[in-house]
Amino acid sequence: MMMKSDHSFHLVDLSPWPLTGATGAFILTTGIVKWFQEMNMNLFLFGMMIMALTCIQWWRDISREGTFQGLHTSIVAKGLRWGMILFITSEVLFFFSFFWAFFHSSLAPSMEIGLMWPPKGVLPFNPFQVPLLNTIILLGSGVTVTWAHHSIMENNFSQAFLGLLLTVTLGVYFTSLQALEYWEASFTISDSAYGSTFFMATGFHGIHVIIGTTFLTVCLSRHMKSHFSSNHHFGFEAAAWYWHFVDVVWLFLYMSIYWWGG
Amino acid sequence: MSMLLKKTTTTTLAMARRMAGTAAAHSHDGGMKLWKNFSLFLALPCVAIVSVYNFMHMAQEAEHGHERPEFVPYDHLRIRNKRFPWGEGQKSLFHNPHVNPLPTGYEDDHH
Repeated sequence: MMMKSDHSFHLVDLSPWPLTGATGAFILTTGIVKWFQEMNMNLFLFGMMIMALTCIQWWRDISREGTFQGLHTSIVAKGLRWGMILFITSEVLFFFSFFWAFFHSSLAPSMEIGLMWPPKGVLPFNPFQVPLLNTIILLGSGVTVTWAHHSIMENNFSQAFLGLLLTVTLGVYFTSLQALEYWEASFTISDSAYGSTFFMATGFHGIHVIIGTTFLTVCLSRHMKSHFSSNHHFGFEAAAWYWHFVDVVWLFLYMSIYWWGG
Repeated sequence: MSMLLKKTTTTTLAMARRMAGTAAAHSHDGGMKLWKNFSLFLALPCVAIVSVYNFMHMAQEAEHGHERPEFVPYDHLRIRNKRFPWGEGQKSLFHNPHVNPLPTGYEDDHH
């Protein structure tokens, strides 16, 4: 299909995904209400499925428009960069609120929890065991993703593949260890403000690790199909930025909740 | 004459510098090699060492069987103002009967 324009912007073709996304989000959120009120997960699962299909097909279309149709001119790419930066900024604000909640409860522990932090009866994790390993893993994965980036820029296909593969593997390793920690924890989400703040903050972080790992895995498959060139690979850069953001959030979690708060 | 020579040299140097900056067709500007070495000789070994330390510790704990704390029915723990939206509503999402007591105590009697 031949595009004709006298400007370098991208006016997108008509697409159903914004509508399916909005409908899917509505069904998902209504489904959560139905789940909590009537103990029935059907609508929620249906909503999840619609959202997943929307994301897959919308992002697939974007990579087609960029890689195969050449519609991602430098000014379009600039817009995509700003978009990713603003999105990550909004996520920083999201996590800020959970850190606020944590410091609110922990800096001035209430009477009800024994005027101490951790509260009376709560056994926190040793920050120098699995949490430390998780920190090394995420820091290491930041190094491997940078290796992959430089390899892409220097047109080294196999090293870029190896760097990306190592990054994804470290991400999966982190998630597995964290799942093990969740299983072994002597405290639950319902154990005072400690449990609430711990699981809300680390839980949302874990979801973001899974999202970031998925994004990097998509980049790995796109790389294997030679979608990235040495000077144009914004999808990869966006994934790397997101991954570094996830790492930084973990560092704050580790220092405040695991170490200072333990 | 010397001015012309100087100008040519400067221009050639400037061009070379610019070419080294672009990522298009050169073989190395040091970045890839540096990060490859950081990855293989620093990051991965650190992950391996701290992993081994942790797995040794886990193995020790599995043998010894760590002491679980005595159950005390504190009000601020095991809060159940609203039931969990699954099963009987009494167990958290990652409930582990060995280390997580219910509001009334541990489910299993043995340690």
